[in-house]
Amino acid sequence: MKIGMIVLAGGIGKRLGRPVPKQFLLLGGNPLIVHVLEKVLALTEIEEIVITCPASHLDETRSLIANHGFGEERFRCIEGGVTRQESVYRGLEALEGFDSVVIHEAVRPLVTAEEFRALLDAPDPNAMFGIPIPFTVLKGHEYVEDLLERGELVNVQLPQKFDARQLRGAHDAARRAGATFTEDASLFHRYADAPVRILRGSDRNLKITVPTDLIIAEAIYADLVGRRVDQPVRD
Amino acid sequence: MGKVAVITGASQGIGRATAIRLSQEPDISGMALIARSAERLAETREAIGPDTDVELYPYDLADLEGIPQLVRSIRARFGTIDALCNIAGYAEPKALLDTTTENVVRTYTINVMAMIVLIREAVRAMQHHPAKILNVASTAGITSRPGWLAYASSKAAVVSLSSTLADELAGSGIKVYTISPGRCATDLRRVLAPEEDLSTIMQPEEVAEVIARLLDDSESILDGQNIIVRKQV
Repeated sequence: MKIGMIVLAGGIGKRLGRPVPKQFLLLGGNPLIVHVLEKVLALTEIEEIVITCPASHLDETRSLIANHGFGEERFRCIEGGVTRQESVYRGLEALEGFDSVVIHEAVRPLVTAEEFRALLDAPDPNAMFGIPIPFTVLKGHEYVEDLLERGELVNVQLPQKFDARQLRGAHDAARRAGATFTEDASLFHRYADAPVRILRGSDRNLKITVPTDLIIAEAIYADLVGRRVDQPVRD
Repeated sequence: MGKVAVITGASQGIGRATAIRLSQEPDISGMALIARSAERLAETREAIGPDTDVELYPYDLADLEGIPQLVRSIRARFGTIDALCNIAGYAEPKALLDTTTENVVRTYTINVMAMIVLIREAVRAMQHHPAKILNVASTAGITSRPGWLAYASSKAAVVSLSSTLADELAGSGIKVYTISPGRCATDLRRVLAPEEDLSTIMQPEEVAEVIARLLDDSESILDGQNIIVRKQV
């Protein structure tokens, strides 16, 4: 079975105004995306890793791949789309002929090699990581409109894996319907007639979305590598 | 006759705030402001009152060869130098494997080498009268900063050279001060920590206030030490 991987490293346009694209922010001294690719390196059954990134950062991303010794034969940069969904679609086009595709994002740098291994070894062709939601969630905007049962909800994480043919079909259906999704398990569930297994994730595998996330990630990373935690690394 | 202060990095951040703050000191009558950007130097000039005699020196400190002539020009213009504030700084934070040789050279040239050359030339102008040199290092120079290799190590060099010069110049009447600011809301900080909310951290004006106090004649005991300037929040 041919397994490929898509690493989402930023769309186009939405990052205007940000001084540094998030995938290049440093965590423990290395760009976020490097943390991800380091874990992928040892997963030899993944034949090709396609990194989708903005055209304006293709060269910088390729430099990172070269500088950090990832090897251009396995790690390929392509231009992403305007939306996350379109970037995945372009990644799927680049992985034409592959049977299974793993999807991850550069801004989840604390994913572990063990999580990738568990995903690849899962017998289900379609699987994602998820963790329980430890807080109460309600529907509403200015006023509470409805209740949600948090025991029925799951916090969706990446990485995810899918049967490549089915995921392409689901993306095609979503495009025809003009439907937009924030991640692929939702899209797949809506448009592919196949189950998605939920594997237990980790609250350490956080997504760097807001500046506070980076502060938390630095603390987690310091703990992981055994660095002194009293050190004011961000001072 | 009032004193003359030379300030590098005067077009922004701590350098600009220091220029503005020192212009409010009654015993400072002249200031030579150095920075790369003539346009931004002019903005600093506009923020300073008319009572201070200010000369702008647009200059890239990466050009070490021109620094002696630069200092001679300042000396010719003002007659003397009583205070030198080495505030200009450069940072291009990268992981080790992404750090180019050009990055290392430029960082060390501006943060360390230009500082040494400027001090050497300024001391020639300071000889035989009391004067002060203030070097801005960083807390990055005293603890590890993964991803800031060139910058952090260059600031460690500033701490070291300042300590050495404080001793070497001790008998000359020239005092050497070192401050190591923690995170401060400057353009350089924006480069080092792009996601940080600068409104929540120490402001350049607060560091400038410390600098003004250290340069005041009443201060005579804090030279030769690395003074940490960190806002406790």
